[in-house]
Parts: sequence; C-alpha cells; structure tokens
Amino acid sequence: MTEPVLDVNANAPLAPASARTQERPAAARTHAALIARPDLVVCTECGAVHERIPIARGTVARCRRCNALLGRSHLMRLDALLAFAVAALLLIVIGNTAPIVTLDLRGVMTQATLPQAIKATWQAGQPLVALLTAATALVFPLCFTVLRVYLLASLLRGQVPRAFVPAMRLLGFVTRWGMVEVFMMGTLVAVVRGASLTSATPGAGLFAYAALTLLLTSITAAGTHSLWKLGSELGPTR
Amino acid sequence: MNGDTFQTGVQLGLFSCRTCGRVSQLAHPVAEGTPLHCPRCNSALNHTLPASLQRTWAYTLAATILYVPSNLLPIMATSSVFGDAEHTILGGIEELRASGDWLLALIVFVASIAVPMLKIGALLLLSITAQRRSRWKQLERAQIYRMIDAVGHWSMLDVYVVVLLVGTFSFGALGSVQPGPGLLSFGAVVVLTMLAAGSFDPRLIWPEDTEATPTDD
Repeated sequence: MTEPVLDVNANAPLAPASARTQERPAAARTHAALIARPDLVVCTECGAVHERIPIARGTVARCRRCNALLGRSHLMRLDALLAFAVAALLLIVIGNTAPIVTLDLRGVMTQATLPQAIKATWQAGQPLVALLTAATALVFPLCFTVLRVYLLASLLRGQVPRAFVPAMRLLGFVTRWGMVEVFMMGTLVAVVRGASLTSATPGAGLFAYAALTLLLTSITAAGTHSLWKLGSELGPTR
Repeated sequence: MNGDTFQTGVQLGLFSCRTCGRVSQLAHPVAEGTPLHCPRCNSALNHTLPASLQRTWAYTLAATILYVPSNLLPIMATSSVFGDAEHTILGGIEELRASGDWLLALIVFVASIAVPMLKIGALLLLSITAQRRSRWKQLERAQIYRMIDAVGHWSMLDVYVVVLLVGTFSFGALGSVQPGPGLLSFGAVVVLTMLAAGSFDPRLIWPEDTEATPTDD
C-alpha cells in the first residue's frame, strides 16, 4: 500500500529558506511536502513512533510507552460486517415500531415505542431532552448503520463510494455519539421501575434493541482502519 | 517507566491523521504554524489539538456547575391515585434498592452518580497536571483518560429511563409520569463531560523532552 509521492523533490536535500518561502498554491505545497509512511505508526495518544508490524489474528497492538490501543487484527471480514449492518438496519426498524414495554394498571394497558416516548417527552415540556434522546438512541445509530451499509456495499464492489471522506467523518461522529448499548440498559431499568409502579411486560422493541446492541458493538469493534485502507487503495478519495 | 526511549512524531516530523490514521512525514521543515492537511482525507494535521486545554477547562467547569442542579432538582414527577411525588436521581436509586433490585440500583448508582463525579474529578486532575507539564504518573493518567473516554456516555442511562417511563406510564387521571427540570441539566452534564473528554488531547500527558523554546513570530 504505497501512495504516490506527489513531489519529485520530496527526498531532495533541504531547500534554501528563500526557496521555501516563495509563494506556491498553499494546498499543493502542503500536500507535496507530506510523504506517506505506511511502515510507521504514530501513537494517537502519546505521539511515540513505532514500526508497523503485522498483527496476528485475534491479537491487539499496544503502544510500548503509554499502552494505548494502536490496532487490532480483524476477525470479521468486510462482507460479514456488511451482513451485520444490514441485520442491524432491520433491528432498528423493529426496535422503533414495536413497543418497548407494556404497562397494565388494573386492566388499563399502555405501551410505548421509542418514537412515542420521545414525542411524549417533547409534549411534556422537555423538548431538549427529547431531542437528545432522539439523536443518541435513534438518529445516530441509524446513521451509523446506513453509512456502514453504504460504504461497505460500495467498497466490496470495488468502487470508492461517492463522498467517501465526508461519509467517513460522519461515521466517526455518530460512532462516538450513538448510545444504543446505554439505551438498552435504560429499557431494562425502565421495565423494572415500571414494575414497581404497576405490572410491566417487556415488549419486542426491547429484545430488538438488545440484539442491535450486540451487532453494533461487533461492528464498532472492527474499527474504520480497513475502510480507510481499502478506500485509498481503490482510487483517489475525496 | 521502563527506561526505553521513544522518538516522537514531533521529533521526526511525523503526523498521524486524527481522522483517517494515515501517517505522513514532512519532506522538509516548514515554518512554524504552516497549515498542513492530510493528503488522504484533507483533515488538518497537528501534533497537539488546538486550544485543547482551554476547551477542556470550559466544558469541565460548565459540567461542574450543572452537576449541582442535576442532583438537587427532580428528574421526574409521578402522579397517581396513591398521590404525587417528585424523584431525584438519588431518590430513584433508593426506590430501586428498597424494592429489592440491588443489582439495578448499583448499575444506576454507578452510571448516574459515580461516573459523572469521577469523570469531573478526573478531568480536573488531567487538566491541572497537563497545564503544569507534569511527568507524574504518566501511565496511570493515560489510563484514566482512556477510562473516562470509554465510560462517559453510560451516564445517559437515567435520561433514557425517564423518557421511556414518560412515554409508557400514561394512564391519564389514574397515573402519569412527567419529566422534571433536573433531567435537562443532567443530560447537559453528560454531554458536556463527553465534550470535555473529547477536547482533551492525551498527548499533553507526554510533554516533549526537548522543548522548543517559545518563539515570538
């Protein structure tokens, strides 16, 4: 995986200061000055430089100075990750259309799906909390899954996806701010709290979110390194 | 420390892209402050996050202030035929414990009380030591940083519980659950501490051996 060195003079001795300060288009200059070093790893947490080594299956590489995770070998292939992402998409649909918990107060039954609970919170005078919940438990996990399907489907066909870099940036953001696993634990606590007030039964939505948690955790653990690598091997990104 | 010496990206002119991970090496020195962009994804390349400490401080202090109302104000109010009641975070944990759900009470306690408090404390510790360019217990501080970054979002648990109860427990006059004002400040604490942890640059834990003398230009 060697990227072309854009500047033929990249390895030339240092240019005199006067030559360096001459005006050239800024983007061209900074790109030309940067050579790819796929043989090295710079620790993202402490900046220590290591030689890149192949990682055996099922093991991880850690920084020798600060112990940060530098990389892990991927147990799952990309087509398996795509299958997981498609399955996760189905589970998101089920998890948001099926009730999460059903309450029974002396024969009066109520139940709510996640979108209904968000709407009720909005109407009860907490629109910001409703938006926060909608974003972290529903919209970001949905974006995460859709982006994964889109990126993997295109990369596996051997094409660089349209808007590859913006999509990858968005993927990084929704990975950080999606909180399906916390929401799943929240549904459990809500069922127990509901049961202390009246009789409560977990619904299909809860089980869908539980399965979704497992899938998204496996997908997230695979990281994005292989996507970046494949994307830049297939052709110019951006 | 194990006595090994490490060369760093700063010393070798190596940049690891924070977005895509591509490792780039500067072919020749450039003037201090020249904007560099990753050839693969066009993200800005830098050795330290700009304004990392200022942003971490701002988010941490905002979170510390909001931590007070989030624990004092009720996060939800229940009204039922048995009477009306307001519930704070601690009160909810006590209800779970009293009804015999020790494990869930513990989970909610860890997620809602322990994690935010430890997180704010850890962020203050990391910011202060980084500001002093301290070399005190660097490995442990790196571990603390990774921990608060990993567990931060778990505090959202109580927000979800209340939203679900509001949506489900709606029997009209027989009983209903309303979200309380504490819920918003609690959600804000979670978001602010996550932003603070995300703004903190862990490389500040490892100051360079040979400090470049501050230049005036």
